[in-house]
Amino acid sequence: MPSDGPAAASLDASDTTLTPSPRVRRVRFYLTNEFGLVLLIIIFGAAFTFAVPRFLSHFNLFILGRTAAENIVIGFAMMVVVVTGGLDLSVGAIGVCAAMGGGWLMQVAGLPWPLAVIGGLLLGAALGFVNGWAVVRSGLHSFIITLASMSIFFGVMIFITRAQAFRSIPLSFASFAHIRYFGFISPLLLLAVVIMLALVYLYRLTALGREMLAAGARASAAELSGVRVKRVIILCHMLAGLLAGVAGLMLVARNDAAIPSMAGQLGQDWLLPAFLGPVLGGTLLSGGFVSPLGTLLGSFLLTLLTNGLLLLQIGQFWVEAVLGLLLLVAVLLDQARRSFIARRRMI
Amino acid sequence: MQFLSRYGRTDWFGPLLVTILAAIIVGSLSPSFLSAFNIQVLLLAVAINALVAYSQMIIIAIGEMNLSVGAIGGLAAISFAGMMQVWHMPILPAALLGILIGLLGGIINGVIISLTGISAFVITLASLSIYKGVNLGITEAQPFYGIPNLVKHLGNAPFLGPLPWLIIPTAIVGFGLWLMLTRLPIGRCILAVGGNRHAAELSGISIRLTVIVAHALSGAIAALAGILLCARLQIGQPTIGDDWLILSFAAPVIGGAVLTGGHVSVGATTLGVVIVAIITEALVLFNIDPFLVQVVLGVLILWAVGINRLREFRLKPLRRA
Repeated sequence: MPSDGPAAASLDASDTTLTPSPRVRRVRFYLTNEFGLVLLIIIFGAAFTFAVPRFLSHFNLFILGRTAAENIVIGFAMMVVVVTGGLDLSVGAIGVCAAMGGGWLMQVAGLPWPLAVIGGLLLGAALGFVNGWAVVRSGLHSFIITLASMSIFFGVMIFITRAQAFRSIPLSFASFAHIRYFGFISPLLLLAVVIMLALVYLYRLTALGREMLAAGARASAAELSGVRVKRVIILCHMLAGLLAGVAGLMLVARNDAAIPSMAGQLGQDWLLPAFLGPVLGGTLLSGGFVSPLGTLLGSFLLTLLTNGLLLLQIGQFWVEAVLGLLLLVAVLLDQARRSFIARRRMI
Repeated sequence: MQFLSRYGRTDWFGPLLVTILAAIIVGSLSPSFLSAFNIQVLLLAVAINALVAYSQMIIIAIGEMNLSVGAIGGLAAISFAGMMQVWHMPILPAALLGILIGLLGGIINGVIISLTGISAFVITLASLSIYKGVNLGITEAQPFYGIPNLVKHLGNAPFLGPLPWLIIPTAIVGFGLWLMLTRLPIGRCILAVGGNRHAAELSGISIRLTVIVAHALSGAIAALAGILLCARLQIGQPTIGDDWLILSFAAPVIGGAVLTGGHVSVGATTLGVVIVAIITEALVLFNIDPFLVQVVLGVLILWAVGINRLREFRLKPLRRA
């Protein structure tokens, strides 16, 4: 994984410094987000196992992995836009639209499920394109554009579907959410890992991925170096729409139905997991630095906490408050970590 | 012609024209639109939504955003209802405590944002979930039904012709904000910080204090909106505030607010709320699908930011001259 750091504008921080001493390198490793997240996952996992032995049952691990897969992909959907320094409030709305589109193709149009899935994903990418195009053409911040578009996408979807769910989803598709490998691994979790690997490949090894990072770090400099920033931003929004569609279809498989309200009013329920994953994982909200592994671990930690708190029966209603607190603590810790690294000149 | 271009440059002129046109068109197509009862319903909606919009407007003025407006409003509303039902508190202290909770929520937002320098978006997203979670934790998603009859009466009855009681606090807050933003030092500081943070700091304005004051005001106004909505619905709903986000941005933007800060207008924002209310009302009167309200709000935001952008380009040479 890329070494962490705010000096991401130089694309790869470790290349720019002279080889640091092994001690500094070791301390730097302990200060990475990924290491901290793994540590937290182990600590909380152990604590929950100790408090509720049922936590480690095959069934609970399966449920945990399946829910984590959804949250991870939702986190990725936000992450690919955050890379450019923008954000996409409409991930939830796009996810539900793609899910409803896929559900319609399966149930009403009667297409075989692979075609319907492709249709749903294309719809997600198309809505992402609308976002990206509007952001680039208007020159406004993506916040206000996607705020408006989440309202429009969701409203049109509700209008067309009359708020009715598609409940006759073919079993061959829905079974993906119910298969268990080795008793506890969901194929959806494997899919999330595959998407992570694809994103690592995109950002580390392809010109397009590097252009996305460059456009996020400093758009004007990227433009001068020959990056077509506008096209890259549109592509980022399309990718976000596509990933939101994947998450939406995962939800369809899990519910055995495409339900318009599955992401809450206007898809707002996805906003917190969408930001928690990338922020916990160390993705810079100002753009230019990204960590797919960090997002995966961050989203996993958030799912683990939710699952554990529900098992502890602290009261399902307090879970949202705890997650909000987690986001707050995460950004505060992240800032302390950054200033610590900067003070010690470890980068 | 000069007269026209002078008014064309103000924020309120465009929205006022749209308001009048919309009222005339809807009124002529559907005579019941201008009935006293309908105007009263319209004013009730405007009274609450205007407070929601003001709450966001004051944060837009400093160039930030507050996602937790709805969560603060909801928390204040259920506290207000809960204190009256469970602790049998009199109405006025309960309302004041509710507003105090909102004020506190806003201050927490403002202090964290100004001390850490982390973007207001992330902080208010976190506090949105915290306040909403506390709200659900207290109520367990069950509404409070024990609202005193006096509150129910004040929440719906008119005091003069079609003017409802609820319009009074909104008018006071609106006038107060206008006075503050145009005449008082703190209001000018807020606009200066939004216009150019660096320049404001160099001229000796305390950025931290200004940001905290703006967030505190935003929280208190959101709480007031929640309490009024609680009175109007006659029930302490935990879901109060869930759908405020889009509206809170739509009205200030229609009123010509610049999202990067430094330029807002109380009057034009109020007209933005009226426009949204008239359009929503028209959809109901003409039996158009209520689901389309969301689409209309989204399109209104896009349309308004487009117009604002055009005006920006048109105004630049004028300002320099």
